Amino acid sequence: MKKTLLTLALFAAAQLASQQALAKEVTLLNVSYDPTRELYVDYNAVFSKYWQGKTGDTVKVSQSHGGSGKQARAVIDGLQADVATLALAYDVDQLSEKGKLIPKDWQKRLPNNSAPYTSTIVFLVRKGNPKHIKDWDDIVKPGVSVITPNPKTSGGARWNYLAALAYALKQNNGDEAKAKEFVGKLYKNVPVLDSGARGATTTFVERGIGDVLLAWENEAFLAQKELGAGKVEIVVPSLSILAEPPVTVVDKFAKKHNNEAVAKAYLDYLYSDEAQDIIGKNFYRPVSETAAKKYEAQFPKLNLVKIDETFGGWQKAQKTHFADGGIFDQIYQK
Amino acid sequence: MMPKKILFSLFLAGVITYPEISFANDSPELEELRALVQELNQKVKVLERKGELAEEDSAKAKKETPVVKASSNGFSFSSADGQNEIKFRGIVQADHRNYFDGANDVRGRTNNRAGSLNPATGFHDAEDSSLLRRVRPTIEGKVAGKYGFRFTPDFGNGNATVVDAYVEAYLAPEFNIRAGKFKSFVGLERLQSAADTKFIERSYVTNAILPNRDLGFSVYGDVLGKKLNYAVGIVNGVADGGNIATGTEFNGEREYTARLFTTPFLDQANALSGLGFGLGATYTDFTGERNLDFTNTSAADATRNGLPSYVTEGQNTFFRYGSAAVADGKRFRISPQAYYYFGPFGVLAEYARVDQNVSLLTTATGNDSTIVRAGTNKKLSHDAWEIAASYLLTGEDASFKGVKPNRDFDLDKGGWGAWELVARYSEINLDSDTFKNQAGQYAAEGTAITSAYADLTKSAKSAKSWVAGVNWYLNQNAKISLNYAHTSFDGGALAKGLPQATNNNASGSNVRDREDENALLARFQVAF
Repeated sequence: MKKTLLTLALFAAAQLASQQALAKEVTLLNVSYDPTRELYVDYNAVFSKYWQGKTGDTVKVSQSHGGSGKQARAVIDGLQADVATLALAYDVDQLSEKGKLIPKDWQKRLPNNSAPYTSTIVFLVRKGNPKHIKDWDDIVKPGVSVITPNPKTSGGARWNYLAALAYALKQNNGDEAKAKEFVGKLYKNVPVLDSGARGATTTFVERGIGDVLLAWENEAFLAQKELGAGKVEIVVPSLSILAEPPVTVVDKFAKKHNNEAVAKAYLDYLYSDEAQDIIGKNFYRPVSETAAKKYEAQFPKLNLVKIDETFGGWQKAQKTHFADGGIFDQIYQK
Repeated sequence: MMPKKILFSLFLAGVITYPEISFANDSPELEELRALVQELNQKVKVLERKGELAEEDSAKAKKETPVVKASSNGFSFSSADGQNEIKFRGIVQADHRNYFDGANDVRGRTNNRAGSLNPATGFHDAEDSSLLRRVRPTIEGKVAGKYGFRFTPDFGNGNATVVDAYVEAYLAPEFNIRAGKFKSFVGLERLQSAADTKFIERSYVTNAILPNRDLGFSVYGDVLGKKLNYAVGIVNGVADGGNIATGTEFNGEREYTARLFTTPFLDQANALSGLGFGLGATYTDFTGERNLDFTNTSAADATRNGLPSYVTEGQNTFFRYGSAAVADGKRFRISPQAYYYFGPFGVLAEYARVDQNVSLLTTATGNDSTIVRAGTNKKLSHDAWEIAASYLLTGEDASFKGVKPNRDFDLDKGGWGAWELVARYSEINLDSDTFKNQAGQYAAEGTAITSAYADLTKSAKSAKSWVAGVNWYLNQNAKISLNYAHTSFDGGALAKGLPQATNNNASGSNVRDREDENALLARFQVAF
């Protein structure tokens, strides 16, 4: 018996030694949009532990954050991301169309159209809601100062814009001219355009500018609890939009860095129970049923429109509203 | 006087009021004021935030905006990260040469070809002249931080040639590769930029013995904290002082170059910090690889048959090999070299020796293929040395590189630039066997076994020069130089009274010394 135990111990030690001898340190670059800093700090720690347990390799994940559109352009211009976790599918599409960095059908590679979490757009107002803002109609009134980033550079800003437009279309029975006029009024109330969502949060919370911030739901929760604790509160509009921030391996760079397997695992693991729980804790809406149920009470129930149904998908929405000379340019230049 | 307490009570009751602050108790006006302050506060904050965002954008833009520079160091534009760059540089030297005494290159030529004969001396006088010595625009740059290039044509001296054309890889401070046409890493004075030389012309060491530009590649770098510089190269090989054309090659063998130069006290702040010394060398052996079909030698007179000609300080040729002589076999050059700079004082010393195997051809060069005449191969050893000193009168520090005046020349502001006194002695001594045949007797040049490789009645055996001068640096880019050069010779001319066609004889009695050269050389140079 002793001999068997000794043999097993030696075998285990040899296995461990061989694993350690072969273990390597892997560096991964995750290029993401503005408000995901805290989420990925938490997730990276969990994933590194998971990956080390599975392979013995140490993973160090570097993060890069900024406006989603800007981040996509940076990757196309040579920022060698192993994975991209951006705010909207159109920006990821650019990695395929303009950068030839990923296959065209990238969105089919992971569940839920490669979106491991969802979110939406809500209002953040000053404590006590001094301007009595309750819905979209209240923020287009004269004298209400609205903070939202630039849709040309920020994914969150595009979601903000489309959420407002969806509300206006519904209120005006699909009358596009009136809806456009509504959005025009909204942007007349915007005194400053930041390039990303985190910048807009800084403008509103830290610089004290504006009466209402159009914010990612997760960003609003974070601001309420940490960034501007005691100074701001969340207002949930009657209608908003379902935001599905997608993720993808940037095949060309991951292959170049010999990181294909770890990059794929990094994104696959976002759908695990452990990761979905972290997603919920960071105020993103989990896609797994278990985590969604666990955090159900945390998220307000509101009417959410989908971009595919209301605007014909991101390609069409981008071309119509955010391309140079598009509707946003027309209303903002007025 | 009313007691203070009563006044205060009346004030609170509104009986006594100050008109100018009466609105403070007016509630609607207060609300209006508050709103106004809040509105102004918001506007100020918005302006501040826009300023912040503009600064952020500006900082980002700065990282991407190309940098354009125009300064006394030249003109350039580069990427914001400095990884890619193009520089435009240039040098123009306008010279004048005035000869008080001295002969041009007579070589037994008729009066029609050699110019006016001075009846008093029997020499054809060197001709005064103005010329553009160097007209060299340069484009140089780097791409991706590690790869560079340089292209320098020269339109001076009435020719258009490519002086430098090379590419480089800066792989590490200790390891760089250069390929193309460039200055061979051998001689110290040669490696000093033409804009920075202390004298109008370089010495015999540089101009006569050591190679100039060559085609090939070199590996070079700084080691031991930049205290030791090394360079090794494999090049086509050029005749002494030679400047290779961009595509020609005299033989099929490579020439190997090597140089070590140390500045052991570079990082110390004492009197030795400006000391540098080293050793350069070249070696080739083209026995059996020579190309002797000289169907066109007109364009390469200075390097004809793989052999050099030598010129004086005044740039008059005083030595040529005979037209039947050809480089044939090994060539080895070695050159110990040193400089020392301390405060305004500088000194540069260099020695060079070349061992060159030569042979005679069976016919003089022309359009026919020729072969080497058996039994005529001989090793000839020539050497040269120089010592040059400089002193900056205006207090600037001397260095191997150029001088930057403490005060630029400016009549309005009263600056006089930098002034420098310079002096140099140099000499070259040719192997006596150059002028002798296989039997050890002086002889005329020719193709026969009894011929010499050069004729002492046409080419001097040695030249000794001293030069004194002054440099006036008007600013970092403009310099005016004046040199007075005296050169004396051993041999090199036909004894007076003999017919021009006369050659040397076995006793050497047909020879006299070439006339001393006394020349005033002047230069106005602009370099950037």
